[in-house]
Amino acid sequence: MSLAAGRWPEFAGPAAGAGRRPGVLVVWRLEVAKLASLLRVRAIAILCMIVPFLAVAGLNLQSATPGDTPFGQWVHVSGLAIPMVILGFGAQWLLPVLTAVVAGDIFAAEDHFGTWKTILTRSRTRGQLFAGKFAAAVTFAVAAMVVLTTADLAAGLLAGRQPVVGLGGQLVPAGHATMLVIASWASQLLPVLGFTALAVLASVATRNPVAGVGIPVLIAWLLQIVTLINLPAWGQQALLSTPFLAWHGFWAQPAFYGPFREGLLTSAGWFAVCAAASWLVFARRTIGGAA
Amino acid sequence: MSRGRRSAVAAAVAVPLLAVTVSGCGSTNLTAGRLQASIAATFANLYVLQQAEQGNPRPSPRSLDSRAACQKGGTPDIPQDGSGGWLCQITYLVAGPGYPVIARYNVDVQTDGCYAADGDGPASVNGSPIITGPGYQQVINPLSLIDGCFDTT
Repeated sequence: MSLAAGRWPEFAGPAAGAGRRPGVLVVWRLEVAKLASLLRVRAIAILCMIVPFLAVAGLNLQSATPGDTPFGQWVHVSGLAIPMVILGFGAQWLLPVLTAVVAGDIFAAEDHFGTWKTILTRSRTRGQLFAGKFAAAVTFAVAAMVVLTTADLAAGLLAGRQPVVGLGGQLVPAGHATMLVIASWASQLLPVLGFTALAVLASVATRNPVAGVGIPVLIAWLLQIVTLINLPAWGQQALLSTPFLAWHGFWAQPAFYGPFREGLLTSAGWFAVCAAASWLVFARRTIGGAA
Repeated sequence: MSRGRRSAVAAAVAVPLLAVTVSGCGSTNLTAGRLQASIAATFANLYVLQQAEQGNPRPSPRSLDSRAACQKGGTPDIPQDGSGGWLCQITYLVAGPGYPVIARYNVDVQTDGCYAADGDGPASVNGSPIITGPGYQQVINPLSLIDGCFDTT
């Protein structure tokens, strides 16, 4: 069999579309596929789905109410209070853990297994690898928040759709309250992404999965303590823990969004600084040679 | 390379540390005025809810003309702003301007402008966490524990 001039057999050419796909997308897809096969990622996904329902079941089994958090006293009156109690109780320390478990490990795991040399010899640049891995960590954070929000809202609606008392003493009808629940949970995404970038920085800088996960979690807890101190307004605003509380304003009467707008800036600032610092560290490190 | 690593880690911890070290200077927006305005309006809304729960005629929140006077507890020279324990007296009118009623609250204000106000009398208004509705059913007294928030930006 002879070849026609200028034609190569099918198997010798590039695979369909392979040459056209941008490298970042390839790395991102691979990283997301890797994440999806991890046991702890699957465990988190399942926990995000069932914990809100367990919380509802737990609250229904007892007559006492969690009184020291906003909406706590109304959990037996309206199911729509329950997602807000979970948010008020857990968001500040639980959500950073949620994203750090993946983002704090995604770079350091390659150090842990000694696989940087292997993947960097592939035809992807360091920049593509960094962007793909970073995007995968962000993807996980967004997906986990979407699942958690959906499960929380579903659990709340299942428990009851009565009007709920807002943070201005006003009675919020169920339809509006549902929107506020979604908005409140969606607002958490901003600081969560800030913590994602912080965890990536810890992961890149320490090259240690334990430190990569532990450092952002520790910072989250420290910030939660610092939040209790009377800081000047700008100091309070600079903390990455403050945007977690911005949703309170949505439920006031009249609603106020100043903390949300400031939280947007704060989260974006932390995200940009941490992402840039991670890239600087990652781009400069020597892999496979003498340091 | 290790220099870059170190400076990146330093940058990550510097921001919160800086925020801690400057605590105490600068101003806060957690003022008595904002707290008073918020708690008076929240109280009025919840008073209406309480009356409805008990099967009484509903006043309009505006007609109560509720006003709050708040003071921060502790030593006399304590600055009258910021988070912590406050004492609030809410004056409202249920039987015309000649007969003001005063409700007292111990208010725990958080740094983000949210507060939990614990009723401290009179007992018939905010003393009991549970009240009785018109059909003898037990319902939550909305005035016993008040959660509210005000803007500090």
